Amino acid sequence: MLLHALLGGVVFGCYFTLIGLGLNLVFGVMRIVNLAHGDVLMLGSFAAYFLFHLAALSPLSAAPLIVIGFFLLGLPFYYLVVPRLAASRDAEMLSFILFFGVQQIIEALAAIAFGSSERSIPARVLGIGAVHLWGQSLPRAWVISALVALAAVLALYLYLYHTRLGLLTRAVMASREEARASGIDIHRVSAIAFGIGLALAGLAGVFAPFMLGSITPAMGSTINLAAFAVIVVGTLGNPLGTVLGGLVYGVGLLMMQTYLSAWADLLPNLLLILVLLVRPSGLLGRRVRLA
Amino acid sequence: MSPEPLLEIAGLVKRFGGFRALDGVSFSLGPGEVLGLVGPNGSGKTTCINVISGLYAPDGGEMRFAGRPLGGNAMHRRARLGINRTFQSPRPFASLSVRQNVELAAFYGHAEGPRADIPALLASLDLDSLAPRRAEDLNSAQQKLLDLARALATAPRLLLVDELAAGLNPAELARMAERLRALARGGMALLVVEHLLGFLESVTDRVIVMNAGREIFEGDLSAAVRHPEVVRVFLGSDHAG
Repeated sequence: MLLHALLGGVVFGCYFTLIGLGLNLVFGVMRIVNLAHGDVLMLGSFAAYFLFHLAALSPLSAAPLIVIGFFLLGLPFYYLVVPRLAASRDAEMLSFILFFGVQQIIEALAAIAFGSSERSIPARVLGIGAVHLWGQSLPRAWVISALVALAAVLALYLYLYHTRLGLLTRAVMASREEARASGIDIHRVSAIAFGIGLALAGLAGVFAPFMLGSITPAMGSTINLAAFAVIVVGTLGNPLGTVLGGLVYGVGLLMMQTYLSAWADLLPNLLLILVLLVRPSGLLGRRVRLA
Repeated sequence: MSPEPLLEIAGLVKRFGGFRALDGVSFSLGPGEVLGLVGPNGSGKTTCINVISGLYAPDGGEMRFAGRPLGGNAMHRRARLGINRTFQSPRPFASLSVRQNVELAAFYGHAEGPRADIPALLASLDLDSLAPRRAEDLNSAQQKLLDLARALATAPRLLLVDELAAGLNPAELARMAERLRALARGGMALLVVEHLLGFLESVTDRVIVMNAGREIFEGDLSAAVRHPEVVRVFLGSDHAG
């Protein structure tokens, strides 16, 4: 039972890493808090749902379309909102308010458009049967979702550390002012990072029906809480630190569901309170936050 | 005959809420000239550099560079035009090496002509032995030198220097002063914000003294220290003649 909880926790941890990854990238590059992150994920879920039910497109085929679509949506949205926000004297605080409004609008429009009933995509579309690891069996959909999440982490790592645009992104993360003085167009770099952030949220949304059970227009708030717990544990502003936060969250969740199931829903709150009290800079500390 | 101005500032205003950090500042600066900007804390010196470099947008006034209005050019565009700056508290790209920090600026902030010779630039600032090290491993004096190297890598025609001397020992101060003089001899215009008047005196004799966002004196540094208004601002009304 312990081994199953641990293995399942690691698998869920990979998925929760994907949930927090885009949010942490956006915070790291722009120092703004996208409270609508969970609702973007919800839109990704509904996009996958409709592509499956209306166009018979499997989630694995829909994922690249959703990633590209959300990335492209992110670019104009960035230029519409963020430069003005970044120029204000308290961008972090204002971003809370602004994106809270965006979150409310997305949720309300989604409820009008899709209704409030729970929807799902059958797990069999990702393959039938279980995956056996060290004598434990895990649903195939979980493992595929985790593998996609790991692929996304690897892609982000390659982007940040092995491309010129990634180098510029890390420079902007380290110091926006020095980056501007070095001739770097920080809005171009940030717009791309914002687009990637939305694309990662959309991708996480595609696999939400398999990992979270069902999807509704109201799921964004719950997702946000989990995403914040993951990135605060893994260190705010350090996208790759999200992996650590995701694993702690995933293993913690599965352990609690196994041994303290009545308390499992409290995990994000407990983690947030614990980390903020004991190690507010996150498990990796501030040092790694500096790109 | 004085050279054609490279930078012309007229009636520059910058407000933060109801506070006027710059209140109608005007001056001009030609190629090869060094102008010192002094004043008590909060007098608007760094704000002036922030506005000219494009970090802040002005609320009024005009700025012309090489005869053209600077307008709403963003900071990275001004770097490419030939305006660069150092920071009072530099925050280099911590996980990148010293060389990478400078190379980034040389690649993206350079306007035209041949690119900066990075090894020579690093050697001229005694940073050559530190080139492979991560910027976060440098001490604060070394980070200031790196910041200067980053700015010079863009081959600026106008360099805005914000309290570069703070934290340097006497020998380093003398070397830094000679470096700035050499840059001016090469035709670069320098606007130098500085609290250390001895250091400033070794770099230029022309200063603007600011207080509460306004210029209260422009002229020789030796005359400034005898000017009643300047004495009052720095030492209080008991000392003013």
